[in-house]
Amino acid sequence: MLKTVKKHILTATLLVLPAISCLAIPSRPSPQRLVNDFAGIFTPQQAGLLERELVAFDDSTSNQITVVTVNDLEGYSASEYATRIGLDWKVGSAEFDNGLVLLIKPKTPDSNGQVAISVGYGLEGAIPDAYAKRIIENELIPHFKQDDYFGGAAAACEVLMKLASGEISEPRSRDDDDAGGVLAFFIFLIFVIIVAVVAARYDKWNNNGRRGGGGNYRDGSDVMDAIIIGSLLGSGRGGRSSWGGSSGGFGGFGGGFGGFGGGSFGGGGASGSW
Amino acid sequence: MKKSTLITVTAIVIIVLALFFWVKNSYNGLVKADEQVKAAWSQVENVYQRRADLIPNLVATVKGYAEHESETLESVVEARSKATQVSVDPENLDPDRIAEYQAAQGELSQALGRLIMLQENYPDLKANQNFRDLQAQLEGTENRIATERMKFNETARSYNTMVRSFPKNIFASMFGFEAKGYFEASEGAQTAPKVEF
Repeated sequence: MLKTVKKHILTATLLVLPAISCLAIPSRPSPQRLVNDFAGIFTPQQAGLLERELVAFDDSTSNQITVVTVNDLEGYSASEYATRIGLDWKVGSAEFDNGLVLLIKPKTPDSNGQVAISVGYGLEGAIPDAYAKRIIENELIPHFKQDDYFGGAAAACEVLMKLASGEISEPRSRDDDDAGGVLAFFIFLIFVIIVAVVAARYDKWNNNGRRGGGGNYRDGSDVMDAIIIGSLLGSGRGGRSSWGGSSGGFGGFGGGFGGFGGGSFGGGGASGSW
Repeated sequence: MKKSTLITVTAIVIIVLALFFWVKNSYNGLVKADEQVKAAWSQVENVYQRRADLIPNLVATVKGYAEHESETLESVVEARSKATQVSVDPENLDPDRIAEYQAAQGELSQALGRLIMLQENYPDLKANQNFRDLQAQLEGTENRIATERMKFNETARSYNTMVRSFPKNIFASMFGFEAKGYFEASEGAQTAPKVEF
């Protein structure tokens, strides 16, 4: 018996191990940012400029473009690495899957420069693979060949933003969402109080009238009470959980990037090297 | 009725109910995981089909510039028809079937790799915008294949862990839930056409 259990533990460990070893991809940055310059190829001003532009784009259209630079692809191909970042970080909203990852591995004396654009499921129509390839060939690589990483990234982001906003353009209303959630919570609270008060009064009235009335009637009204209160509590709980969800998704720091949303990636996009 | 009888009956009822819910939850969990694996498999088949759909166009374009390379062109067409013949029943995703499927698709990958390499001998083909677009789509599709295969493997792994680990393995063997196969990682990495500019 002990042997079988041991075997199962071993099997489970062996099965889980590959999943753990996949974690060579940098984990989601904290605080969350759209420009993640792990390779250090942008100046702080350049990174700030790009970040502001991408955050404004995220706010106005809900499309999330993240720029990631790394010095080592950890043995993955550039497009695979970019897709894994998109999947791991959940770039884009869960509703539209509208995330984009622009991955840059700068050229070093002993290795090629590599670049990849990975497109979330929802943007595959707006940015087909051939377009992504053209952006890499026409915007990115010519700049990168002259070591102008910022110029290339900015030019590519501009084209990507134009293409993406043609497909999905849903302004983020992060403040309204939160206010709505808080409002829903207060309405729920007020409901509970009203129901409690009414129930208490009803009970009192019922108790007073009981001596005269039949027992059956009272039993029926009790069941009704339970149903009404139960359904109110049930719907109220639903409202609260959705409120919690929205604050989890958007609750960032004032003015900055609100955080990645839960988008998924299928591996669309293109890559190139120079 | 004695008080002790009542307690015994209540205890039995509670135990039976608990057992029922335990079995129900385990079974439903297995069904759900099984459906997830099937859904992941259909995504894998979708992206392979997407690649197969690209091929006629690609072959026609290459033919226009390199008609003498009939051997390479034919090998692609042949590998495509072979690969599309091998399909796996989602109800029966055992390791052998998946390996067979993977082998057929792997042959097509190799034939496609040779087709793409032809551009090195035909500069006009290499410069053709239509060919370049098709090539970009093919690369994107290869990456989609890698992604969906990875997702399938992850889904199948969590399903297999469930099926094999105690105590769910009891229900799994009782209701006929079998372990699923995986895609082998190395082969795809070797055969995916690498294109340098």
